Amino acid sequence: MSIEVLLVEDSPGDVRLTREALHAANPQIKLHVVSDGAEALAYLMQTGTRVGEPRPHLVLLDLNLPRVDGREVLATIKGTEHLKAIPTIILTTSTAQEDVVNCYELQANCYFNKPVELDEFLNMVRCINDFWLNKAKLPNGRFDA
Amino acid sequence: MPSKTRVAAQLEVLNTNGNIAEPKTADVETSEHLPRQEQKWRVLDMMLSSFADFAYAFDREGRFLYANQPLLNLWGLKLEDVVGKNFFDLGYPDELAARLQQQIQEVFSTGKRVADETQYISPTGVQGYYEYRLSGVIGVSGTVELVAGASHDISVRKDEEKHLVQMEARYRGLLEAAPDAMVVVDTDGEIVLLNVQAENQFGYSRDELIGRKVKSIIPEGFAERLIADGTRTAAEALAQQIGTGIELTGRRKDGSEFPIEIMLSPLESTEGILVTAAIRDITVRRNAEKHLAQMEGRYRGLLEAAPDGMVVVNQRGEIVLLNAQAEKHFGYRRDELLGQDVKNIIPEGFAERLIADGTRTAAEALAQQIGTGIELIGRRKDESEFPIEIMLSPLESAEGILVTAAIRDITVRKDAERHLAQMEGRYRGLLEAAPDGMVVVNQRGEIVLLNAHAEKQFRYWRDELIGQKVKSIIPEGFAERLIADGTRTAAEALAQQIGTGIELTGRRKDGSEFPIEIMLSPLQSNEGVLVTAAIRDITVRKEAEKHLGQMEGRYRGLLEAAPDGMVVVNQAGEIFLLNAQAEKHFGYSRDELIGQKVTNIIPEGFAERLIADGTRTAAEALAQQIGMGIELNGLRKDGSEFPIEIMLSPLESAGETLVTAAIRDITVRKQAEANLVQKIEELNRSNEELEQFAYVASHDLQEPLRMVASYTQLLSKRYKGKLDSDADEFIAFAVDGAKRMQRLIQDLLTFSRVGKRGLELLDVSSDRALKLALVNLRGSIEGSGALVTHDPLPEVMADEAQLVQLFQNLVGNAIKYQGPGVPHIHISAVKNGAPRWMFSVQDDGLGIDPQFFERIFGMFQRLHKRDEFEGTGMGLAICKKIVERHGGTISVESKPGLGSTFHFDLAASGRRL
Repeated sequence: MSIEVLLVEDSPGDVRLTREALHAANPQIKLHVVSDGAEALAYLMQTGTRVGEPRPHLVLLDLNLPRVDGREVLATIKGTEHLKAIPTIILTTSTAQEDVVNCYELQANCYFNKPVELDEFLNMVRCINDFWLNKAKLPNGRFDA
Repeated sequence: MPSKTRVAAQLEVLNTNGNIAEPKTADVETSEHLPRQEQKWRVLDMMLSSFADFAYAFDREGRFLYANQPLLNLWGLKLEDVVGKNFFDLGYPDELAARLQQQIQEVFSTGKRVADETQYISPTGVQGYYEYRLSGVIGVSGTVELVAGASHDISVRKDEEKHLVQMEARYRGLLEAAPDAMVVVDTDGEIVLLNVQAENQFGYSRDELIGRKVKSIIPEGFAERLIADGTRTAAEALAQQIGTGIELTGRRKDGSEFPIEIMLSPLESTEGILVTAAIRDITVRRNAEKHLAQMEGRYRGLLEAAPDGMVVVNQRGEIVLLNAQAEKHFGYRRDELLGQDVKNIIPEGFAERLIADGTRTAAEALAQQIGTGIELIGRRKDESEFPIEIMLSPLESAEGILVTAAIRDITVRKDAERHLAQMEGRYRGLLEAAPDGMVVVNQRGEIVLLNAHAEKQFRYWRDELIGQKVKSIIPEGFAERLIADGTRTAAEALAQQIGTGIELTGRRKDGSEFPIEIMLSPLQSNEGVLVTAAIRDITVRKEAEKHLGQMEGRYRGLLEAAPDGMVVVNQAGEIFLLNAQAEKHFGYSRDELIGQKVTNIIPEGFAERLIADGTRTAAEALAQQIGMGIELNGLRKDGSEFPIEIMLSPLESAGETLVTAAIRDITVRKQAEANLVQKIEELNRSNEELEQFAYVASHDLQEPLRMVASYTQLLSKRYKGKLDSDADEFIAFAVDGAKRMQRLIQDLLTFSRVGKRGLELLDVSSDRALKLALVNLRGSIEGSGALVTHDPLPEVMADEAQLVQLFQNLVGNAIKYQGPGVPHIHISAVKNGAPRWMFSVQDDGLGIDPQFFERIFGMFQRLHKRDEFEGTGMGLAICKKIVERHGGTISVESKPGLGSTFHFDLAASGRRL
């Protein structure tokens, strides 16, 4: 079975990197990418043009996004009954403590800084995979409208 | 014939028949008759001589026929010498002899008896008075044959009579001189004697009264008292009256009556016991008694109403009268005390003082006490005693002199006196301790008290001054001020002086004078109002005043020369003085401002600061402002305002505290300040913008940088060995560059973040911050094996994250720039002033050359080549920024090759540990 992961990231470079890293870590991951917050929400809400898309097992969320900011996306996910159970991992360049605190307060499951070093980056993704997709138990949910 | 025989013969004749017979002369000579006749004659002679009286006989010629022995003894003669002689022959005085002769003849011729008396001095020197009787003896012829005589010595009676006459004369004198009327009454009640007073009293002349019954002047009461009745003799009756004054009524010649008092006394006289009555007109006394009775009533009233206890005591020391107050004082009822000895209530001191003793009478004794308040002890009924003061005064009464004692309970006064004595003691203490010379003067201007300071001031000994006139030390101005004159009393005179310091001149013992200031105050004492003068030697002050005068002149000069505007203001807020600069500042001329309120030129802030209000005096208000430059607004004559800064300082002048204000026109400064503020604001803004910019920039630069770094690394990874070695090298450089850029931007980000947010200083445990930093560094610490130690670190006021960063950078540096061997790093902190903590991070690493001590804290400053040590050169710049933001400074001391110690300070925590 495939593991659905939603990546919310506006930098194509970062998208490619993440895709490469995830694939290297776990070939079973099926990566879905949206590049702004509104699309992310639409995807998750199963409205608009994205009907019938599978519910992700994991969301990787950048903070600085156009249109709808990542923090807002987080808040919405965690504020929506049928979405809040989805593990949402923040992946951002921001090292600001406020952001860290804020995100956890918004019920982010985890917060990561994107490392500068490539190796570190690859390592981090491997860790995420290892922890969340191998070791941790995830809730099996269905989409309810 | 011998005489004897002849006499005998005659006598015989006499004797046989009582008649004298003519003797026969022849018969006589017969000798037979003679012895018998002789015997008879001898017996007769003896018989007649046994009488005391004289007996004798004469013949018709007046010649002695016989004289008895007593008479013979008186003459000192013998019978034969006497017979046949007459008085002339016997040496009697002619006058007497003649009289006697004549009287004898008278008896012979008339036959009638003759009695008489005479004084006679015998030849033997015996003086005497005699009464005699001559009687004729009738013979047979029927005619007087001889005269017989008998004499009796009445010398004694004569003496008595003479004495009596003398007494009478003397008595008459007394009588006349007596102040009272004197009337002498005989046993028949007839007036025998009276004096001129009696004449005047009764309005009679003497002869009108003499012989009259005393009843005519004293109708009743006199005669009766003297009557000898069946029950008593006149003498007894009189005796009963003697000595007592009897009140009766006298009647004058004109019939009017008046009250009299008579005093009787007996008077022996030839006529029997007479009664002398001293008669006193007691009209006045009667009136007085009536008056007195009235007075008594009034007196009793006064007695009762008297505020003091009043007790009247008679001469026996018995209480005859007392009032209600006295009852209260002593706790007795009136009847319990009347008649009692006054000793019962005043045990000692009263009775003794009034006793007449050998040296003085009761009246004198009393007189000595009159008017003086005598302090004694009174004893109440319950036996308790209390101090009293008695004032005595005599009281004439019918019973003699009584003594009225006004008794005052002086318990309170005694306490007051004791208190006063204490006070006096304390006062003396105060007097001695006073910093000024103190002199107490009585109402006569004499010094009664002074203290040691005054002794020193005037250079006298105390006893040289006490009793002296105060004029001797203060020649003028003191005594005069206190003299009561026609217009005011001494008390008023004093009252006018109280409280004011009077400048006078004092004179020392050696005559030298010095200026003094005296302050007067009244002092109540037993001796009346005394004046206490506090005397201050103002020599110094006077000189200071002179000096001040000089200074004033100099000051004025300074004032004019001062670069600032100078304004001197008095306590009423009025401008007292100003200089040319001030004129210029405010655009006024001097006279336009002098006397004006300072609020005219400094509307607010000046006057208020100096006002004495309920909470502080002007001096205190001023003191609070001294030394501070106060920024206010000045108001020019043209109405324009300008900013000024005033500096205040007090100025003592003639007892008044003035305020000198140095006024500086700070328009320019204010402008500069405003400019500065503006500039600062701009700078701050621009700094903020820069910081903001730096942050944003770094933050936004991160991302593309990451791309470059990541993909170049990816390239390197994936195509290493697949491209040529040049490609490898090119890619390697690219990667390296990207990484460095990455780190720079991180540091820049950190640096800018230090100042980005508002700094919130909280109580932070620097110990914990260090631990956190060490946790962050654990990789390098483990890698280098560094030994990091620290002393107990304090609580500080800091931003925790930044403090962690600070420790992290410093310790990280220490590890990075380690020397050979294992790095030893020690962190400590000492407290220095302020209170701030001085931290030290000490290492034994490479050390730093002193020439770089400053540079290393700059941005992007590196001391080593890139291949020696990695690093962006931002670490210490970040540390410096952190420390400075915390209000501290960072520095380094180091010896190359030995190590470095970095110092920085932080504020101590407000919390007490």
